[in-house]
Amino acid sequence: MNMETLVKLEIYRTTTDTGQVPKLTSVARALGLSRAEVDAACDSLQNKRLLVLDRGSGEIRMAPPFSAIPTPHEVTVGDYRYYANCIWDAFGVAAALGADANIATVCADCGETMLFQVRDGKPVPEPCVIHYAVPAAHWWDDIVYT
Amino acid sequence: MLGFRSEAHVDAWCEETGLERRPSISLEQQWQLGIEWYKNRLTVESRRPGPEEMKAIFTALGLDDPFWDATSDLFGEQ
Repeated sequence: MNMETLVKLEIYRTTTDTGQVPKLTSVARALGLSRAEVDAACDSLQNKRLLVLDRGSGEIRMAPPFSAIPTPHEVTVGDYRYYANCIWDAFGVAAALGADANIATVCADCGETMLFQVRDGKPVPEPCVIHYAVPAAHWWDDIVYT
Repeated sequence: MLGFRSEAHVDAWCEETGLERRPSISLEQQWQLGIEWYKNRLTVESRRPGPEEMKAIFTALGLDDPFWDATSDLFGEQ
């Protein structure tokens, strides 16, 4: 297994096991790699759109569908709470984990909490629509905004 | 993308923000996109769909408007 794959799997293993996206120093320590090696692997993963790195700190901002920072999109699976990057990723957390999940997000208009349940591989129907403001070809022009 | 309680809430938000009304999709369509993007994300082989794959996924969900066509994105050619 190449270094990039090892780093990717360690990031996701830690995230799913703890509910928190790891710092890169922790990833390096866990794998016995140098920080420079982990940074290089993360740069490559970002080029493949499997990670988004914070431009300031260089740490992971997004390990889609997980967010490294608190967001209005919370997903509870078992005893763990995860933050997702958006409503798409909130359902993506349930899909990635293949587990029942409770999702709390907010209506972007009125700010009211919207609660969803994923049970037995599908969401329980609730009144909701998802509006896309950015055409698909431009999602990664500014993925944080998208 | 943002979640709203109803289409009326999308309209109100667009009016409030001055942003253009663009397509909205259902919860079921969103769930299917979550599945397609992330079902294998924790595995060794995981990768993000490329523009042509995205087009096929969207079309299968009835999203065939040019808005959903990502093939002008340079992903995969960079």
